Amino acid sequence: MAGKISNTPATYTPSPTSQNKKRPSTVTGSDWVRPDGRGLHQCRPAFLRTGAVNSASGSAYAEFGNTKVIVSVFGPRESKKAMMYSDIGRLNCNVSYTSFATPIRGQASEGKDLSSMLHKALEGAIILESFPKTTVDVFALVLESGGSDLPVVISCASLALSDAGIRLYDIVASVSMSCLGKNLVIDPVSEEESYQDGSLMITCMPSRNEVTQMTVTGEWSTPKIHEAMQLCLDACWKLGKIMRSCLKEAVSAPEE
Amino acid sequence: MEVDAFRRLFPLRFHERHLLESIRPDGRPLGRARDTTIALGAVASANGSALAKIGCTTMLAAVKLEVMTPKAESPDEGCIVIDFHMPPICSPLVRPGRPAEAAPVITKQLTDIILSSGMIDLKELSLVSGKAAWMAYLDIYCLDADGALFDAALLSAVAAFSHLQIPVVSLNDNGRIVLLSEENSGAMWEKEPVNKEKRKLKLDTLPFSLTCVLHKNYILADPSAEEESIMETYLTVVLDSSMQLVSLNKPGGPGLAQTSAIQDCVALTIQRVKELQKILNEAISDMEVD
Repeated sequence: MAGKISNTPATYTPSPTSQNKKRPSTVTGSDWVRPDGRGLHQCRPAFLRTGAVNSASGSAYAEFGNTKVIVSVFGPRESKKAMMYSDIGRLNCNVSYTSFATPIRGQASEGKDLSSMLHKALEGAIILESFPKTTVDVFALVLESGGSDLPVVISCASLALSDAGIRLYDIVASVSMSCLGKNLVIDPVSEEESYQDGSLMITCMPSRNEVTQMTVTGEWSTPKIHEAMQLCLDACWKLGKIMRSCLKEAVSAPEE
Repeated sequence: MEVDAFRRLFPLRFHERHLLESIRPDGRPLGRARDTTIALGAVASANGSALAKIGCTTMLAAVKLEVMTPKAESPDEGCIVIDFHMPPICSPLVRPGRPAEAAPVITKQLTDIILSSGMIDLKELSLVSGKAAWMAYLDIYCLDADGALFDAALLSAVAAFSHLQIPVVSLNDNGRIVLLSEENSGAMWEKEPVNKEKRKLKLDTLPFSLTCVLHKNYILADPSAEEESIMETYLTVVLDSSMQLVSLNKPGGPGLAQTSAIQDCVALTIQRVKELQKILNEAISDMEVD
């Protein structure tokens, strides 16, 4: 690859003449309208479908606005030779981006950090004792990045695991929130994420009312955190219901 | 013995038993390709994109345009860079950090065919002679690998180029190319656009392909992954829309191809090219209606 890059001349993506990189001052105000016209506490419509990839043991496709993700699950299958004996199963996660996922080519993150976050978010929900000595691989590909990528990947991965028949304590739903001055916006798009003062993401098992992962970054006041957590948990609960109905639909639909 | 067990234990005998009856395990006659669909404009962040499905094999191709300074020896030409990816989601055989062997091979084949078939005139990608030209990055991702990867990849690539919409740009005072927004079109533009006329790429002839598995005297069109893994001799024919031969590739394999078999493969490909052209034209006209 290194040789290839040096052969091709330097390129750039043309940008509009009048570019406004600074965050508009209205974002923090109370009369601010979100770029896609949603209410502050309204999630994007979710499209979920299991069985997207035929050659995988289980898979799912998720589309939240412009964020599009495919997750494939392989296994349980033999662990790598170098691995020690283990009487519980292993979980292996990997997240990657396509080179056209972001508006400017090749700007997407490597996904290393997301891989480990995904692992930690799912680990607590999987009954690892049910597949000793073997590994379950969860691979995600972000086709298009439109904001809130990690929560979408996590929810989609949980659907794919269910589709693969891996035993779970409960499905895992994940929702994030951005804090923009006084405003709290749920399920932010890329533009909102770039302006945010702080973010909060909750990953939970809705029917058990247990949180598997929570991350908070940036500046928050205690009452704001409480409010944001409650909003996220409510949204997770609703998302969980949508995910459950998606799984039920897949089972009740006649096999082709 | 149960059928599924027999299929796993004696895959070759299982398939040969089918071939005797001139049928394949998925119910197709030997010469028929799987159902094929094309959806254009699947990726909003790209300038042109397409999702092609042949049976379960799924390819997502997207073209992104960037600006480059053309090389001194060809000041009026743009450039095309093609990359074929097999991410770990597509097949149980691909693991992260261990890229599939097939991917660079297909990248090379696609590059050779797209650049040599005369589909795209690189001069079409020129913006300002000697100063700026488009560099078209074509990235193809295999989302589901179930045989005939090259055919699906080429189809998605051709479809993505047919869908490509070139943005209107102009040259600013610093010699950089800038986008002109679509909203204030016409008189409102502060700078004269350099490519008002060239919003669509002119595609001369489109290459289409068909891969056939050769096994004994049988020719199986459009093999699935299972068929490819059991019967390892295959032949790929690429023809353009005027039925001229662009490429013929038989990458070794245990079987040898008779001249008559090659002719039969070409005949099957002619059929297939007509089919694919129709599917692509339908996808394009569906797009224009929306």
